[in-house]
Amino acid sequence: MSVKYIPVQWNFNKYFYDLVLLICVAVYILVFIRIGTPEAGVTRPIDGAIIRMRAFGTCAFLMLTVILCIGPLARLDRRFLPLLYNRRHFGVLTFLVALTHVVYVLNWYYAFSDISPVVGLLTTSETSGQLLGFPFEWFGMLALVILAILAFTSHDFWLAFLSAPVWKRLHLLIYVAYAAAVAHFALGYLQDATNPFFMIVAGGGAVMVSVLHLAAGLKASADGEQAHKGEWIEVGDPTVIPDGRAIIVRIKGNERAAIFRNGDALSAVSNACAHQNGPLGEGRIIDGCITCPWHGFQYRPEDGCAPAPFTEKIPTYDLRLEGDTLLIAAKAHPPGTKVDPLTVPERDA
Amino acid sequence: MSNKRDDSFFIGWAAPPSPLRWFMVAVAGFLIVLFAFSAYVIAATQADPGGGSFRFDWGRQNVVGVLSLDPYPVIHVTESERFPAGHALLLSGNGKRGVQERAEPLDGQLVQASGVIINRGDIDMLQVRNGEAGLSAAEGDAATPIESEDLGRWRIAGEICDGKCYTGAMRPGQGLAHRACANFCIIGGVPPIFVSTVPVEGEEFLLLAGPDGGPIPDELMAQAAILLEIEGQVERLGDLLVFQVDPDTISVF
Ligand code: FES
Repeated sequence: MSVKYIPVQWNFNKYFYDLVLLICVAVYILVFIRIGTPEAGVTRPIDGAIIRMRAFGTCAFLMLTVILCIGPLARLDRRFLPLLYNRRHFGVLTFLVALTHVVYVLNWYYAFSDISPVVGLLTTSETSGQLLGFPFEWFGMLALVILAILAFTSHDFWLAFLSAPVWKRLHLLIYVAYAAAVAHFALGYLQDATNPFFMIVAGGGAVMVSVLHLAAGLKASADGEQAHKGEWIEVGDPTVIPDGRAIIVRIKGNERAAIFRNGDALSAVSNACAHQNGPLGEGRIIDGCITCPWHGFQYRPEDGCAPAPFTEKIPTYDLRLEGDTLLIAAKAHPPGTKVDPLTVPERDA
Repeated sequence: MSNKRDDSFFIGWAAPPSPLRWFMVAVAGFLIVLFAFSAYVIAATQADPGGGSFRFDWGRQNVVGVLSLDPYPVIHVTESERFPAGHALLLSGNGKRGVQERAEPLDGQLVQASGVIINRGDIDMLQVRNGEAGLSAAEGDAATPIESEDLGRWRIAGEICDGKCYTGAMRPGQGLAHRACANFCIIGGVPPIFVSTVPVEGEEFLLLAGPDGGPIPDELMAQAAILLEIEGQVERLGDLLVFQVDPDTISVF
């Protein structure tokens, strides 16, 4: 695969998405500092820097929780797909919010001393082996470093450079970051906090992330229950595929195919878009071409080639009918291989 | 041809179809409410950091008293406008620094000191000014040696804090989140204190000392800011309790 970077244009959706994100963060910080904190019963006010480090820290945690809910939500209900589409901006913003938290911590807890903050960070948080008092700062740093790597490599250039599968695997590190963030909170703030609310928010978030992932996983494996017949995989009744749309079949492991219907012609291609692995089967046929739902790359159904002047190609699959049942070949053709479309059997839908 | 299901189709570059658009607006609204609500609940339930603070409102304090160096520099007041004779003032420098070096040549002598007070309940710390004006020998003799009384061996539950932040230099100035800062302070020479969960001889805090009566050993640093139980000798020095702890007797809750 050539290293080629195709920029995705800015458009209204992106502006809307980013605007909502910025509003969420701004609202969180303002409500925390201006409205919530004055309601806390205190003898004397909490230090401004400490209020801010709490505001930004908890905000980053909430953002991370929401980010991790988007994936399974989109799998459970396709209407959430637009959220998935621009998730990277969400990630970068989360990194910036977390970084702000760290800057406040360093400029307060690690300042006003002859010891440099970096040296202090590495030496003052000694552990005595017990869980209580384990340097929770280390977990926070781990989460921040991961978020930094992900934010830095979030640009499309890196996606093209690393290739989509590698990039995707790298970005699964977000789960490690979340686990580290949970540990950071559990060992740090939670043990200090004398009220249960933060525990409820943090614990509830972590539980929700897990439950959603489980639910989406169950749904995927239920959808993927295909009967295997030798080299062919049974798909079912082809007439249920709506015109211009596709159904997604699992071939094996992570490999999925999308079977499209264009009029009465059926064609099967890989479900992964050549651009960024977008789910082609969730797209539809526009102007005779399969159109990716993510950034709109297009492919001809019969050979998986993007129309000229574009050069992207995706793998295709053989299809055949056994009675009224549609079967798909378990082995894909190389990208761009022409396969004659199968005609949908005549029947009134 | 196109049926209802098509309505929810979304392409990155195209304007979303209108039912989907309303769905997105609803999601956006939900997120904003979620963020606002979480922020409010978490912020409004923050714990009370206590009533300690810098007393800039008292103005600069000038005191005369007897300085004792071990385990950490303390002035036992003989003359002051605000404090009664015999009151102990813990000493610190600016930021997370102690005044050991400046106090060393003055051990046991009558000194004058000047600076701003940090106060929380019974605890008073004097953050001394820089230079001679901050801390120097005073005319006269340390007439009476500071009274000390052995109160026996105690096992006390509480938290190791730095005497400056806990007293009000930071609010809150204790707890795990503040632990690294407490370590910075103690390493820098700020007197560490033990904040007891129940009053000991009427006092809620004790000045910490190592087993030999000097500064606390480094190994105690890792135990700062957590609730623990520790054993040691308690001594009354003027109106201040000093707790000579034995690090081997720690048990963490
Ligand atoms: S993933 Fe970008 S267009 Fe398909």
